Amino acid sequence: MSDLSPAPPSVPTVSAAGLTLRYGGTAALDDVSVRLGEGVTGLLGPNGAGKTTLLRVLATAVPPDKGAFTVLGHDPGTSAGRQEVRRALGYLPQAPGFHPDFSAFEFVDYVAILKELTDRTARHREVRRVLDAVALSDVRSKRIKKLSGGMRQRVALAAALVGDPGFLVLDEPTVGLDPEQRMRFRELIARAGEGRTVLLSTHQTEDVAMLCHRVIVMVRGRVRFEGTPAELTARAAGRVWSSTEREPGAWAGWRTGTGSFRNVGEPPEGAELVEPTLEDGYLLTLDGESSEVTAA
Amino acid sequence: MTRALVPPVWRALPRRALAAAAAVGLLLAGIPRMQSGPPDPLVGLYALRAAALVFALGLAFLLDDPARHITAAVPARRPVRVALRVALVAPWAALCWTAALLLVPEEARPPVGALTLEAAATAVLALAAAALVVRRTQATEPGAAISTWLLATGATAFLLLPPHWTLFVTPTDPRWQSTHTHWALLLTAAATTTALATTEPRHPHTPTPH
Repeated sequence: MSDLSPAPPSVPTVSAAGLTLRYGGTAALDDVSVRLGEGVTGLLGPNGAGKTTLLRVLATAVPPDKGAFTVLGHDPGTSAGRQEVRRALGYLPQAPGFHPDFSAFEFVDYVAILKELTDRTARHREVRRVLDAVALSDVRSKRIKKLSGGMRQRVALAAALVGDPGFLVLDEPTVGLDPEQRMRFRELIARAGEGRTVLLSTHQTEDVAMLCHRVIVMVRGRVRFEGTPAELTARAAGRVWSSTEREPGAWAGWRTGTGSFRNVGEPPEGAELVEPTLEDGYLLTLDGESSEVTAA
Repeated sequence: MTRALVPPVWRALPRRALAAAAAVGLLLAGIPRMQSGPPDPLVGLYALRAAALVFALGLAFLLDDPARHITAAVPARRPVRVALRVALVAPWAALCWTAALLLVPEEARPPVGALTLEAAATAVLALAAAALVVRRTQATEPGAAISTWLLATGATAFLLLPPHWTLFVTPTDPRWQSTHTHWALLLTAAATTTALATTEPRHPHTPTPH
């Protein structure tokens, strides 16, 4: 459970309570409760924190061992409810795969059929709309295997967007993209978040800072923080400082481009405090639990 | 919706693996005809068994789907999608098996019904393994691993099963009948496993989360 208690969204689209899922002896999710409302919610956490598992559970791709959730009021615990959740859902998984011989249009059309858009004319119109939304109209007849990595990610996003779902689940959509592609993707996600609920899992704190109105931090299958990006940033207030030498007491510290060290942790007396960023707040929220974070 | 799904699902089938298995299986079934001298029933029996195994190795790829994660949470139900794949391939599989049977000269051909039961059980076993792997793992293309497992299982069964449980006897063996009861049991178990593994995983139901 979170150790902050931010005001939950006034009209939750997604409401989950006590989600627990174990793989062997490891709890991938451990009593996770979240409420998501309209707009983009960021999901941060180190590798193995349970982000992808939470997304897969909320996308109904895998059932939890315990706990329950609703999406737009539908309970996936019943067969009919699960169908309704899936009708309201767009899911972009981590490392999406494709049938390489399909064109972008054919692939999104295939997903549209699976989403029960059976009227051919209306479906094709919808497929053209989403391909246009992700700026792939020009290459819609090209085989997917001939598209770049960024374009393939956009095909996957188009597949998630087809049918205009009310709840969009995006698992690290910007991973492996170059800065320009990431910028384009941010635009797309921001646009997708208008009028619908988007849950965005990412390792990029920049993405969260730029896109999200709320953020959830997961560590070891539990929610460590839930609140606004400003609240996460505020956690680092007074705990980020600059120094000319490496600070052995800092939890993390690195030499910046100017040659000085930026340190995160408990500052010594008289330290030169600097403005914290969301990343600082995130690192402090991890509280040393990520083996990925190392002082440089 | 199912009718609309037929063309893309047909295109999404792992046709290369299926075609390769069909070609190799038919080649193996043709071995008795390539031999000089009078047809040997034992060669006919083992050629057909080898063909059945190779067809099953190809069917192990049937549920390979590189896009399975993208399509993991769509309203189209999983049993329908799996059934569609099976339905699209089943006529071709039946055609290949019939061709394999006809390739073996009549004098060397073992009892067709019993051999068809063996072939069906092997094929459905491959399908059951694929369905189980797809359900229990996140693998998108488990066909290669399953066909290796099937090959190893076939070899192990051939070499190590105790005499009263053996699955590979000749038509003149007194155990022919009882062995085919075992094949029928295997077919039933594999078909049940396939059906169960293909259903949607059950989500816990709580009326309303707080």
